This record gives sequence, structure tokens and C-alpha cells, in this order.
Amino acid sequence: MPKSRRSSNAGSKRGARAQTLLPYLLIAPAVAVLLALSIYPLIYSVSVSLQIGDGWGIGNFARLFSDNFFLTAMAHTFVFAVAALTCEFLLGLGLALLLNSQIRGRGLFRATLLVPMMLPPVVAGVVWRLLLNPNFGAINGTLKQIGIDTESLTWTASPRLAMLSVIVVDVWQWTPFVFLVLLAGLQAIPQEPYEAALIDGSSRWQTFRHVTLPLLKPAILIVLLLRTMDLLRVFDQIFILTEGGPGFATETISLYIYRTAFRFFDFGYAAAMSFVLLALTNLISIFYIRFLKHESRA
Amino acid sequence: MRLITLLALLMGLAAISLSCNKDQPPAGKQLTLAIVSGVEGDALKQAALDYEAEKGVHINIAQFPYANLFEKEMIDFNARTGAYDLVMMDDPWFPTFATKDFLTELTPLLQKRGQNGPDSDFVGASVAVCRHPYETGALYALPYVGNSQLFFYRKDVFAKHGLNPPATWDDVLAAAKTIQEKESAAGMYGYVMRAAQGNAAVADFMPIFWSFGGEMFDASGKPTVNTAEGIAALEFMLQLGKYSPPGYASFNADEVGAHLLQGTAAMSINWPAWITKFDDPAKSKVIGSMEFTNLPAAKKPGQAEIGNWLIAIPRASQNAEAAMDFLVWATSAEQMKRSALRGNPPTRRSLFQDAELVKKHPAYPAQLRSLETSRPRPRTPQWNEIENVFGIFLSKANSGELSPAEAMNQANAEIEKIVQRGQ
Amino acid sequence: MSRALRYLLLVLSLVAALAPVYWMFTISLKSEVDQFASPPAWFGFTPTLEHYYDAFVTRSFGEYLITSAVVAVGSTLCALVLGTFAAYALARFRLPYDLDRRVSLWILSTRMFPAIVTAVPLFLMMRDLRLLNTKAALIIVYTAFNLPFVVWMMRGFFDEVPRDLEEAALVDGDSRMGALFRVVLPLVAPGLAATAVFCLIVSWNEFLFALVLTQTDASMTLPVGIAGRVTQYEIKWGVMSAAGAVAIVPILVFAMAMQKYLVRGLSMGAVKG
Repeated sequence: MPKSRRSSNAGSKRGARAQTLLPYLLIAPAVAVLLALSIYPLIYSVSVSLQIGDGWGIGNFARLFSDNFFLTAMAHTFVFAVAALTCEFLLGLGLALLLNSQIRGRGLFRATLLVPMMLPPVVAGVVWRLLLNPNFGAINGTLKQIGIDTESLTWTASPRLAMLSVIVVDVWQWTPFVFLVLLAGLQAIPQEPYEAALIDGSSRWQTFRHVTLPLLKPAILIVLLLRTMDLLRVFDQIFILTEGGPGFATETISLYIYRTAFRFFDFGYAAAMSFVLLALTNLISIFYIRFLKHESRA
Repeated sequence: MRLITLLALLMGLAAISLSCNKDQPPAGKQLTLAIVSGVEGDALKQAALDYEAEKGVHINIAQFPYANLFEKEMIDFNARTGAYDLVMMDDPWFPTFATKDFLTELTPLLQKRGQNGPDSDFVGASVAVCRHPYETGALYALPYVGNSQLFFYRKDVFAKHGLNPPATWDDVLAAAKTIQEKESAAGMYGYVMRAAQGNAAVADFMPIFWSFGGEMFDASGKPTVNTAEGIAALEFMLQLGKYSPPGYASFNADEVGAHLLQGTAAMSINWPAWITKFDDPAKSKVIGSMEFTNLPAAKKPGQAEIGNWLIAIPRASQNAEAAMDFLVWATSAEQMKRSALRGNPPTRRSLFQDAELVKKHPAYPAQLRSLETSRPRPRTPQWNEIENVFGIFLSKANSGELSPAEAMNQANAEIEKIVQRGQ
Repeated sequence: MSRALRYLLLVLSLVAALAPVYWMFTISLKSEVDQFASPPAWFGFTPTLEHYYDAFVTRSFGEYLITSAVVAVGSTLCALVLGTFAAYALARFRLPYDLDRRVSLWILSTRMFPAIVTAVPLFLMMRDLRLLNTKAALIIVYTAFNLPFVVWMMRGFFDEVPRDLEEAALVDGDSRMGALFRVVLPLVAPGLAATAVFCLIVSWNEFLFALVLTQTDASMTLPVGIAGRVTQYEIKWGVMSAAGAVAIVPILVFAMAMQKYLVRGLSMGAVKG
């Protein structure tokens, strides 16, 4: 059917004007909601953070530098994020490579592997708190059965093991996410480069390094970006597992801000800390996105 | 045109569904009571049901775990939402709430009912924590759960090894050592305590701290936890910890109770509210074997920490008079006796001496002694923050992360910061 | 790598993924004595429904369940409506000053805020609006939470629908909106469904905002209710597990149904799964 030259603004002038307004009308409500609930709170937070005592001032921000707890919480958050990200990435990549070939029941594997990440993080916390209970939990119970002495394995109660425990829980929950996205990325790679590498006589490792990895980069960067953002703001499962303990050992920045705001009711200081966290996540995401843009242009 | 109609329709639908979900409480006589989860709150919960049966006033119960209850109450008071008409509070929270003027003064409400104040049957220490300033000021709450710490120990195990009931902390340490050595085959530990950061660690530490001569603040309000006595007390706590089950550095009352009930620990500091559990065959493996006495001494006589649960009426409540009716009813001798028969420690002297109750709860004389000589935690409105910080360092010392001296010094510095901020 | 080894590794990861969840299910069905048995009983125990009864009949978990459902459905509907319209506009129209790309990126950036950063001021705002302890507050907040996601997902789906179909409808005299409803939406219906499922899951699982904004039994969601069982005195494992088990089931059902779009949803539309 020939495309008529009559374009969509046939009709009255009013129709034409409505047409040019239409996209704005469609976008406006969504933008309005986001302005009201994401942007305005930030502005409000600025004013809250500048209130100190009964007056105004930058005291809350000044306090950041001398607050050992704040600095420690930041350190904990970073350690947690780096450790969890590394494990999740390596495990997820490994699983994706494993499952990329023809295996029977692949659909079933995929479906069941996604169970952990679909849980509410709170429930994941409950599940692992049950497992890790040093006296009655299944982990120590099973270890005891195979003869390992679990006397000192107090998991969420031990300052050395508590951080490890919360990292393990996060890795358990979110490796499937990394796996799924990387698998999709792998499956999107066409066959030709592989065939070319085969003809060239590349070893498996060389193929991996020079063919697979570069083509997988966009998916990798997306996964790293999304996981980093989530790890920096971790709250739910730590709240249930250790509540920041023992003795502050697993206190992350989100927990510390929460406690400052809702246990000590020091909203000003909590707001000041939030800004630091926000600035940090912004910087990191800009960093990643720049990489992404660079890659997609390449 | 269709676009606009459609949008309007959808917005309207959304608005309708939103307004249907606005939670308005149904009209009629209703009160809302916030209580704590667990043993202490359950007694009041039952009393509320009794009140409803008797007077026809429905009481909505909002039950929360310890830390959450504090948060919810703070949020409600700050926001003046009036969501609660009656709140249960642990006595250390009281200074924070009273200083910020969140609570209704009770004396005028009592006067309307023909009383001038709480009657003299209430134990003095219990009423003292309901006043702001402490002991001398206006009345803002009435005490309901007469908790003050007791020392629990297994009299059968002590008899078995020829040990006398412990009178000093050194006795406790020696007994713990003996029991652990002799009973390790049975999987029993000499002692069990809780050292999870926050309320748990601090509550278990204070009696040791005080009996060693430590004081949290000096006369001018400066923190003094890192005196020689304070550090010695913490060192002692660590020694005692050697005879506690591993992981105690994260124990809360739950784990302590479990160990005592399962028979895997022989001694502990604990609250009277737990006593009835020891005779419950569904929960206890040590029926009839526990004995309860007053806290051991060291340099100074043993002093229990008081930990009464009080009931107050928030200022924002819309039903203050109806709430007061419940409050007076629940704290009356008759109703408190009913509660005591269910295991709730009362706050009235007559009930501690009532024949029927003493028969049921042989530990009552010890409880009364403990309550009358008890000591409250420092009555500062910043106690919440101070306890949090103090608890963190106690926990760190108990888990081996810091030495006792380091922990106390750092704790003192942090407490100092908090105190300065409050000025 | 040999096939046998491959299979072994995969089976191991399956067990690692499912065993903890299975354990929680068993705790929810074991009597208290069995729960603390040593060695732990993975299979041989007599199940009891007492914890489920305790949680949903005696205690308020039934209420929390309903609240979670209402809030999830409400916020998903609102986010879908607002977000789909915006996505369509951003996909189909080229705006001056590169606005369509900029607005898209700005919408995405709001998703990057750590929840705690907006939770504190939102609490203060809701307090002043007297909207604390209401389902309305949660619905509003979750809508804003889900909007960026809806916009990005739906934009991706709209981009896949060739423009010719709409152009044909317009030529036939239809209005833009008419074309949208009659031609385009039916084509993206599966994508719309998948997006809806994701929003439902995210709203259902959300914890921090619910924790901060609701204090009463009538307004708490299921995750907050579950967290509340971790008491200082008695950790009610049975009740927690029963509630946890019920919390999981709807999600699993939905997620299985939406597998095809899972990866796209997880990566905010960036990776086509």
C-alpha cells in the first residue's frame, strides 16, 4: 500500500498543536512523580543536614571527619562490596561459561538457579541466620557430623567470621544474577569470530581472552555497574543477619545512617552522611557509564 | 480527547483506590497499646484482653521486639501521630521521652479520679524511675513489670560439687571453673552471659561494674568508665567469659535463656520474668533445679540493675482519660495479682508478700530484696546513644578485638563526645 | 572440560542454591524440639502446620500479606500507567535539545540513589503530611521507585515495534493515542506483563522504606513483619520460616512464568536476554 504523502498533521491547526504537545503531556506525569519523590527529598535533605542543634551550620559535615564510626562503616562497606563483587563475578562468569554449551535440562538449571535472587533479601537473611546459628544451625551441625570442630565457628557472632558470613550470603543470593546476565551476553555472541579463531589455531585460553571477553564487555560492565550500586547500599540482609555486629564489625554505611536517623533521631547528621554516600555512588556510576559509552562506540 | 478522558479515568481510579486504603481506625471505643515482644509484653497483652472482656473497650495491640519498639515509639512521639494511646517502655528509655515532653503527666489525671498520686503500696524504686527528674519530679508513668536482676544458678550442680551459693563474684568465678572442669563431659558451661552490642552487653555488665566500684559518670557528669575499677570489672567479665559458651559475644537474652533451659550452663544473671519458664516441661530440661538469689558482691555490695517496664500515655494520644482508666485498672492490686499468677513480676510490695503468690513463686522474697536495693542505669536523655556506644566496646572486648583497657578508654572518649554534643 | 565434570559442577551449584531455601521450609514444618535437634534432620521428621497457623491466624501475618499485596499491586499499576506513556513518548518522538535522551538518562539516574538517601527525607515528608502508617504512603513511594524501571523496559519494547504499523494507522485517520492503544500496545503486551511482574516482585521484596514508613500492624508489609520476629528474647524461628515460605511462593510462580524476559528485566533493559 503506497504511503500517502498526507502526514499525520492533516486537519486543523488545533490538531497540529495537540500533536506537538503530546509527547510532553505523556512524559510530564512520570517526571512530576520523580521530581516530587526523588529530587525534592534530596533538596529537603540539604536543609535538614544544615540544621544543627537549634540553629543552622555545617557542623554535621564537620563531624564526618572526626567520626570514627562513620569512617569505619565506609571501610566496611568497601571491603564488603569489593569482596562480594569479585566472588559473584568470578562464580557467575564460570557458571555462564559452563552453561553456554549444549547441556540437557539447561532451561531447568536456569530456572532453579534464579531462586535465591528472587527472595526478599530479608527472607534470605532469615534463611542464613537459621543455617549459621552456631548451636542449632545446619551448617555447624553438618560440619560436626563430618568431624570438624565447630567450637570457634560462631559465624555471625565472631568478629572475624561475621563479615565473611554476610559476604557469603550476598554471594549466594546474587551470583545467579551475574550468571544470567553474562549467559545472555555470551549467547548473543555470533559464531563467526569463534570459527575464525579456530581456523587461526588459537588455544582455548587465547580464544577466551581475545574473542569472548571483548565481545562480552558490555554485559560485564552492566553487571558490574548494577551490582556495585546494590552492594554499596546494602542494608536488608545485614540488618537481619548481624544488625551491624558483633561490636560494629559488619556495620555498613546504610546501617549506620539508619541507626543515626531512627534510633538516635539525629536527622541532620544522617542527612549529611547520606550526601557523602550519594556523591560516592554518583562518582562510581559516572565512571562505569563512561566506560560503557566508550565500549559501545568501539 | 480520548487521551484526556482515559488519563482522567485512570487518575480517578488511582485516587479512589488510594483513599480506600487510607487506614482510618473504625469509630467507637478503642485504645491502641504498644508492647514489647516476649515474656514481659505478654503479661500486659493478657491484661488488655481481660480489660476488654470486663469493660467492653477494645484494645489494639502493637507488639514489637525491644529495639523496634523504641524506634516506633520515638517515631510516633516525634511525629505526634497519636497512633498509640498507651506505650510500654523499658525504664532506661524514660529520661529520653520525658525530657522531650512526649508523655502526659499523670498526676492531674489521677487527681481527677480522686487520688493524689500513686499509692504507697508501689515499691519505691519502681515509682522513682517513673518520675522526671528521677525520684523527685512529676509522674509520667506507672510501673508494671517489676523486673530487677537476679542471679540464677543450678542448685543441684552446686550441691553435687559441694559448692556454696555464691556471695561474691570471686565465688562465681571459682564455681564456674570447677563446674566447667567437672561437667565438661556433660557439655555444661560454668556460666553464660550475653554480650551482644547494645542493651544486652551493658545490662549484663553493669552489676559487675558497680560492684567493682565503677561509676559511669562522676558528680559533674563527665564519663568515668575507664577508671582502674572500670577496667578491672571488664577484665573480670572476660575471665568469666572463658567459662561461657562460645559466641557469647553475640548472645542476647534468647541465647542465655536457651542455654539455661537446656541445662548447658550453670549460672547467669537474668530477669525474674524468665523464672516461670524453668518449670514449663515443654521448654525446660531443668525443672526444679534452678535457684535464684541476689547479685554477688565484690568491693561493694551486690546491686541489681532495675529494669522495670513502665506504662505511659503519649501526649499526642486522643484518648488520655480512657487510657488512664486502663492504666489504673491494670496496675491495681487485684489485676496485678492476676498478672503475677501468670508469671509477671509485680511492682507492689503487698503482692511480693502475698501468701498465695509466694507459694507459687518462691523467689519472691529474693525479688523484693533485689528490687528494693536496685539501682537504675544513668538517667540521661542520651542514654540510648551512650548505651549503644558502650555496648559496642564491651562487645569488642569480649570478642577479643580490643583489650579491656583499650575498650574502656575508647568507650570513654566516645561517650565524652556524645555528652558534649548534648550540651 | 568433560561433560561429567560440567554436570557435576552444575548440580553442585543447584544444590547450593536450593538447599538453604529447602532448609527454611523444613524449619517451618518442624516442631520446636525438632528444630534444635542435633544432628540436623534434613528429611526424617514429622511435619506440623502449627507455625503456619500461629503466623497467619493467631498473629498478624495474614494482615501483612494483604498489605504487601495491596501495596505491590497499587504501585505497579500506577508505575505502569505513568511509565508506559512516558516510555512511548521517549521512544517515538524526537524532542528538541536532545531532550528525549537526556530525560531518559535522568530517569535512569534516579534509580541509582541508595534507598537510605531518600528514606530519611521521605520519612520527614510523610510525617508532615500525616501519611505515616498508611498504605498510601508506600504505594506512592514504590511507584516512584518502579517508574524508572518501567520507562526503560517499555522503551526497549517500544523500540522493537516497527514504526510502519503506527504510520499505517495514522494514515488511515487514527490519532496518535488511538494508534498506541489499537496497534502498539497489543504488540508489547508480553513486555508489559513482564514489566508488571518485575514491579510486583520489587515492591513485594522491598524492606527499607516499609520499615521506616510503617509502624502499625495495619500498615506493615510482610518483610517488615518477618524482620520483627527477630526479637531480643525469643527468636520465633518457626513463625519466621512459615512467613518466609509464604512470602516466596508468589514470587517464584511469577518469576518462572516470566523467565523469557528475566535478563532484560534484571539489567534494566540493557541486555536483551
